[in-house]
Amino acid sequence: MVPVLLDLITTAAILYIVSSGLLLVFGVMKLINFAHGGLMTLGGYAAVMATAMGLNPWIGIPLAAIFGGIVGLGMERVVVRSLYNRPLDAILATWGLSIIIGQIITLVFDRGVHFAEPPIRGVINILGEPYSTYRLILTALALLLGLGLTAALRGTSLGLSTRAVIMNEDLARGLGINSGLVRSITFTLGSGLAAVAGALITPLSSVDPNMGVAWLISAFMLVLVSGSSLFSLAVASVVLGGAQVVVSNYFGSVLGGMTIAVLAAVILRIRPQGFSYE
Amino acid sequence: MSNANVNELGSSSLQRPQVRPLTRMMIVASIALIGVGAAPFFMDAYSVNVLVRSMIYAAIALSVDILWGYLGVLTFGQSAFFAVGAYATALVFTYGGFSAEYAFAALLIGIAVAVALAGLVAFLAFWHGASALYASVITLVLPIIVTQLLFSGGTYTGSSSGLTGFDTIPLSSEAWFWAVGVWLVVLTTVAWMYTRSDAGRLLTAIRENEQRCKYLGLNTSNIKAVIFLICAAIGAIAGWMYANYTMVVAPEIAGFTFGTELLIWVALGGRGTLFGPVIGTIIIDYASAHLQGDFPFVWKLAIGIVFVSVIVALPRGILPLVSNAANWLRGRIGIAQPQQYSQLQLRQASRSGRNIIGFESRGPALVVRGVEKRFGSLEVLSGIDFEATYGEIVSLVGPNGAGKTTLMTCIADGSKRSGGRISIAGHDIAHRPPEECVRLGVGRKFQMANVFDSLTVGECLQIARARLDPLSKWQKSGVCNLPPSAMHVVRATGLHSDLNVPAQVLSHGKKQALELAMVLALEPKVVLLDEPTAGLTKAERTLIGTILTELARTEQLCILLVEHDLDFVREISSRVIVLHQGRIVLNGSVDEVVNSELVKSVYAGSGH
Repeated sequence: MVPVLLDLITTAAILYIVSSGLLLVFGVMKLINFAHGGLMTLGGYAAVMATAMGLNPWIGIPLAAIFGGIVGLGMERVVVRSLYNRPLDAILATWGLSIIIGQIITLVFDRGVHFAEPPIRGVINILGEPYSTYRLILTALALLLGLGLTAALRGTSLGLSTRAVIMNEDLARGLGINSGLVRSITFTLGSGLAAVAGALITPLSSVDPNMGVAWLISAFMLVLVSGSSLFSLAVASVVLGGAQVVVSNYFGSVLGGMTIAVLAAVILRIRPQGFSYE
Repeated sequence: MSNANVNELGSSSLQRPQVRPLTRMMIVASIALIGVGAAPFFMDAYSVNVLVRSMIYAAIALSVDILWGYLGVLTFGQSAFFAVGAYATALVFTYGGFSAEYAFAALLIGIAVAVALAGLVAFLAFWHGASALYASVITLVLPIIVTQLLFSGGTYTGSSSGLTGFDTIPLSSEAWFWAVGVWLVVLTTVAWMYTRSDAGRLLTAIRENEQRCKYLGLNTSNIKAVIFLICAAIGAIAGWMYANYTMVVAPEIAGFTFGTELLIWVALGGRGTLFGPVIGTIIIDYASAHLQGDFPFVWKLAIGIVFVSVIVALPRGILPLVSNAANWLRGRIGIAQPQQYSQLQLRQASRSGRNIIGFESRGPALVVRGVEKRFGSLEVLSGIDFEATYGEIVSLVGPNGAGKTTLMTCIADGSKRSGGRISIAGHDIAHRPPEECVRLGVGRKFQMANVFDSLTVGECLQIARARLDPLSKWQKSGVCNLPPSAMHVVRATGLHSDLNVPAQVLSHGKKQALELAMVLALEPKVVLLDEPTAGLTKAERTLIGTILTELARTEQLCILLVEHDLDFVREISSRVIVLHQGRIVLNGSVDEVVNSELVKSVYAGSGH
């Protein structure tokens, strides 16, 4: 029972880390960044590079943030900016960008599976059961991330501008807020977070050019049921991630693999605003 | 239609303007068929092999184009139906052995399962009020589920390696080339005829403005579902061919990645053009087969870059670019022909009597009793009580935020109010959606002119009549039957000379008039007009006013009007209702209202 419970909590934390960047972009820009998976892959390879260069594995994380941020900024400037009024086209264009990222990675590395050195190994005993230390650290990181993002949105002037853009972009622009800048920064930040998430999950999964796709779909579903609220995302991660763990444990991993997608679709059918309380 | 119908614009000149494009299409189809017949004699075996697969993909890309390019449903899930067709075939042959009967049975099973699955998807994706994004999400979940089910089949479905080594229809590559080629040409021709027909234009109308379609009494959810089912069947047939031809099925063909690849082919070829996706898919898949061996990653990278560029810079895809270039070239060398618009004729329709209520029913046309509308704790309307009879023009006036438009919405859509009862010609609207309120006799004109921008004026009117005069599914009928009231508006505002002009180039005033004509084409009993004169010139305003008073008198329409221009209200209304802060503060004759101190204070802003 204890391992299942711990799996449940840590899975929710991992999903939260993976989805928060996508949620930020969706909340502010009202568009779905389908390059999120590609950016996660990029982050995964940043961790692989850190390993290959013999650096401390923790270095891979800021490296991923820098890669993701730069690529995200470029994507926003060149492609995403012209698609603000075409949300469905934005999904396709960012998916195309994801293909481009994947193919460039394939050209630089190869098609095969790579491994990154985990920042930390070993287990900790919790209530007499050994449990992966790294997964517990990820849970702490997810909490820090949630609190940090919330504090940034509530406590800084950029956060205030961002919240204004989320609520009413036309009005915000009328009040002199540079919504274009807010969008650029948001997309950069969201992309950086995606890459960081990719680097963070490398100890749990192998790294290959398509590693992001499965995560993208889970993250996409979680964001849709969360609206634009970081708190709703936490709730959604716990509920849907928890359901995934339970279903995988008792009904097999095949059913577990579709739990999030199916549940999210059903939730949205019954309650179009999902877990957001507005 | 009865014999009493008069041809409005000279029946003697009734020609069939659709013949020319149809003939041209038949010539193109014949050339394509000859090409299909001849091609295997000029190509090496490898190319023939690859092209059979490319043409199968082209057929399924065609179904994606109908859904996405015409109907506006961005689907990621067409691959799932393809896989259903393919796996049904592979399973039947693997466990039953090959025979002609089994091959036929496999086809039917594949189609049946795909259509059943599509029915489930459509039920989830196209309910009243579902957003376009939600529909896409459902189509995205579909391939994930189907893939997982294929994995969970274990050895039965071959899990991740799929099924292979089953016997299939014993045909040579060339024979397959001919069979698939003919099927593709026929399918494309039928799709072309359908999408160009009057009913096909309805798909574009739904893509452009689904809300307007619903308020024209069309059940768009059903229409979308039917098209979705047909496209699922096309996908299953393509899957059947694929399994028969390649003799291999693997879970990848069900997946999200293949689903998006179909979208890429359609986007590159040109969504909403039919030919673009078909030609694009064949070229890209054929080129992939040749280039992928030598430059596998660079090729995919190039496709990715071109795809992003096309989405950003050429949303209509590459085919329109090619045809524009061809037109430009034709213009340069002087053989340009003037754009041929098909001529549309207007005819007088007899009263169709297809509205639920009989016109002889007496009593008030509209009864509103105790209607309330709340958004959370905010009360927008409360205790609204009034009646209106046939032949009356009732104006709703009041300052901004008084709840006028909300009241209109509550009358036209039964699901919107929070409390109270509304009945139209003696029928309670209960919780009926807008398209059913139209059947009871409600016609609503929106505040902003709400027409189908990329359709012509004539097509807009045909769509407005679609509920009463079923549209032709295979040709442009070239005829639109309008009731006298709509005909009167079209004539009086000069729209009859703009019938073949796209609605988006109309002036603001003509757009308003067009929407009014569309609403009247529904043969409503109660007409809701939200600021019909906003932004019109003085002359246009007078014209609309005259038309409305005539309609109320001759057609016995009950007209409910939201208006800010009190002079206009005074000229045409038979009664005025003043709304203020969600309540009726006055309900009386024009003189009573105009001379009321209360109204003056409300409008002057001191009424709080």
